[in-house]
Amino acid sequence: MTTYASTEVALLAVALTLVVGVYLVAVADRLVAVIVAGDGVPIVTTLVAPVRQVAWLLSQSRTTTERPDAAGWAVAPALLAGLAAFALALVPLAPGLVLADPDTGFVAFSAAIAFVMIAVFLHGWSPNSPLPLIGAYRYGAQALSFQIPFLLAMLATALPAESLSIVRIVEAQEPLWNVIRQPLGLPIYLVVGLGVSFWGPLNLPDGSDLAGGTSLEDSGIARLLWAVARSSMLIAVSAMGAAGFLGGWYGPFLPGPVWVIVKTLILLGVILLAGHVFARVRIQTFVLVSWAILIPLALLNIFVSGAFLL
Amino acid sequence: MIALGPLAVAFAVFVAAIAAVLILWWGANPGRGRAPAVSERTPWTGGREPQVHAWNRYHARYYPMALVFLAFDMEMVFMYPWAVVFRSEGLIAMVEMGMFITILLLGVLYAWRERALEWV
Amino acid sequence: MGLKSRIAGFAAAGPVPVFVVAGAGMRAMVQDVQLDPHVRIVDTPRAAALLLIAGSTNHADVQALARLHDILPHPRATVTWRTHDPFVALGGAGAATAVEEDDPVPTLRAVFRDILTGGRASEPAILPDVDAVEWRGIGPYGQGGSGMTGGTPYGRPMAELGPDRDGLRLDILPVSLGPFFPRLPSGLVLTAKLSGDVMTEVAVTTPGVLPSRPGSASPFIRALSGPVAIAELELARACDHLRWLSDALMAQGLPALGRRALRLAHEVRPGDGDRVRAFGARLSRSGLYRWSLPRAGLVEAGRFSGLGLGPIARAAGVAEDVRLEDEGYRALGFEIVVMRRGDPVGWWQVRIEEAARSLDLAARAAGRKTTLVGRVESPRGRLEPGDSPTNRALALVPELLSGLEWGDALTTLIGLDLDLDEAASVMDSGELRATA
Repeated sequence: MTTYASTEVALLAVALTLVVGVYLVAVADRLVAVIVAGDGVPIVTTLVAPVRQVAWLLSQSRTTTERPDAAGWAVAPALLAGLAAFALALVPLAPGLVLADPDTGFVAFSAAIAFVMIAVFLHGWSPNSPLPLIGAYRYGAQALSFQIPFLLAMLATALPAESLSIVRIVEAQEPLWNVIRQPLGLPIYLVVGLGVSFWGPLNLPDGSDLAGGTSLEDSGIARLLWAVARSSMLIAVSAMGAAGFLGGWYGPFLPGPVWVIVKTLILLGVILLAGHVFARVRIQTFVLVSWAILIPLALLNIFVSGAFLL
Repeated sequence: MIALGPLAVAFAVFVAAIAAVLILWWGANPGRGRAPAVSERTPWTGGREPQVHAWNRYHARYYPMALVFLAFDMEMVFMYPWAVVFRSEGLIAMVEMGMFITILLLGVLYAWRERALEWV
Repeated sequence: MGLKSRIAGFAAAGPVPVFVVAGAGMRAMVQDVQLDPHVRIVDTPRAAALLLIAGSTNHADVQALARLHDILPHPRATVTWRTHDPFVALGGAGAATAVEEDDPVPTLRAVFRDILTGGRASEPAILPDVDAVEWRGIGPYGQGGSGMTGGTPYGRPMAELGPDRDGLRLDILPVSLGPFFPRLPSGLVLTAKLSGDVMTEVAVTTPGVLPSRPGSASPFIRALSGPVAIAELELARACDHLRWLSDALMAQGLPALGRRALRLAHEVRPGDGDRVRAFGARLSRSGLYRWSLPRAGLVEAGRFSGLGLGPIARAAGVAEDVRLEDEGYRALGFEIVVMRRGDPVGWWQVRIEEAARSLDLAARAAGRKTTLVGRVESPRGRLEPGDSPTNRALALVPELLSGLEWGDALTTLIGLDLDLDEAASVMDSGELRATA
């Protein structure tokens, strides 16, 4: 049962979700930072500060470097935001309430995740500056390493559904959520979620040891758009995690779409907390752990849950 | 507007987001009127003048790992349809994919031993 | 226009993005500015609106300072804080606001509001608008013409080939982390040739002559010439370690915990050793020692013996500490902290444990004073007039950093805890050179 949404509704829904979501991410991130740092929590300031920061970035001029790749520099945040919007359009809110439910929704989502590497690399390559370039290549290693664990962890959710459609994957969780019957799946997915939006411990392309990395030469609207694109990716990944592992719209008392939003917010909270509590991973350690530990764990996840299904 | 198929709708969202960002990128620049001076365009590494352009034949030291990634990516191509028919095919599907995975995992083990997953 | 000015006015009340240059003797005060919620210290000048120059910078770095100023995007302004600088001579800071009080934040906010609302014009560029090398060609991308035959597109050459690990014909990128890199001491320049993101041929240069500074109030400097209360000395040591920890945590991607460490540095009193240990336990739970700091032994213990490098040497198993020779400490039952690992994990753990033990010692000190004159154990190592541990650590930097990947190299550099102010205080003529 595929649902077709009219294009205007789709555009509006995704735009609204992203605007509200990005603001929420900014506020929540600030809140978590302030709590972990032990400062007092000023409620009003925390709510208003992200908007003031947006206003500041809109007032700052967008600089350039002496020989950048101007087109690439513009395309990078555009591509990242586009991929996030695309991925978000694939997340279902209810059996009859999804913007796009192709029969190969999972493959489409994976494709979107794969292209993030292009966007981040472009962002670091374009300014023609040494530190952003190092960040871009570092992300290349990071992205190649987390792709396979991500695909394997999500593939396990397709096994009970016998389908690659996201709606079917959610419907197959009606008896039991995937987080319970495939316990290794969600932790691996969260690690990858951190990696795709290069957040917190996996902030290797934009790390503080590179003084801002790929974002070093950004200012004004460029900095704002990159931050918005990153947060959008985070939201899309959290939403898909809620659909694939936490049972989507299933839950007592509340209507389905509200459950999807609640579960997305839970995953978002976990990711934001991890961002401020865990130290940045060394790239060599991440590559090694990804290949030598995460892939075998993800494969174990697939085969054990597959054995239980037979 | 016409109702499009599911992938086309998602693609329309994709294109719209890209367009929105590009419009903002080129439109929302308060400093548009004044072209930056030479000293304002220098790439920054701490204050010193850079000696060369940054673009170079960069040694991406993880290239052996990228080859192993290619192998696993091809495996993923096979695992997509396998996941769909797994339940109906039964034990034989699991055994066959298990053999395939084992061979690839041996490849990862070999790469690990040959220090292809490390840097320096 | 109405909308633009309204947006700018709304932004003016938010946190001020500032890029700081911590000149001589102002490192601690600059660090404390981070605790103010009205100011946001940024890592890159491109994200900043204001350039805060605290204290005096080296005369040789004036060009770099001017370049740093010009890289800030418009609208920008400079604020100087207790600085007596040749920056003015470049004609750039004629409009710079000077701050002399302890707290620069109100001035920062006022200047930020001014440049956003148009009360003050954005500062023009200081350096001349001239290309580094004459290169202009004929075509739209600068191609063609005699300026291009030397191979300098847009005024700069491309990177050259160099020897590479795998026998590949790839380029070596020379990079200099300039005088004003965040979290590195101001004036320190690290030049490296990068093969990919691995550093080869690392060299570090420091300012030749540091500007004269007001008399230092550091208890460690005072302990060189006369007895100082042990409680005061050990409290200063713990605070110093915690301040270093704050900077190092921010460099490792834990800015919130870094602020917590800074707050701890302000709040600890003698006897708070367990508080520091609890914080250290929290750090180990954040995966810092497992996946963030390099764990392989960088240097074997023998290399560090006799150099008096303080916590770094003690982490590698070298049991040297000037405090062992001091009667006052022996009477208090001072015990040295030694580990058997020569990597940054050990350095961090030794410093945290030493900070905790310093606070315990300070509680027990009860008015005792140091008895040694002419040598003291500073938080970085053995300090004597004319010889500081920073000099010796700087001499080690090339061999420690060569062959390391970028992230590890920066972690190691920050883990060395280089303090050019301390080095300048003990140098007679103000000359600083790395001793072997």
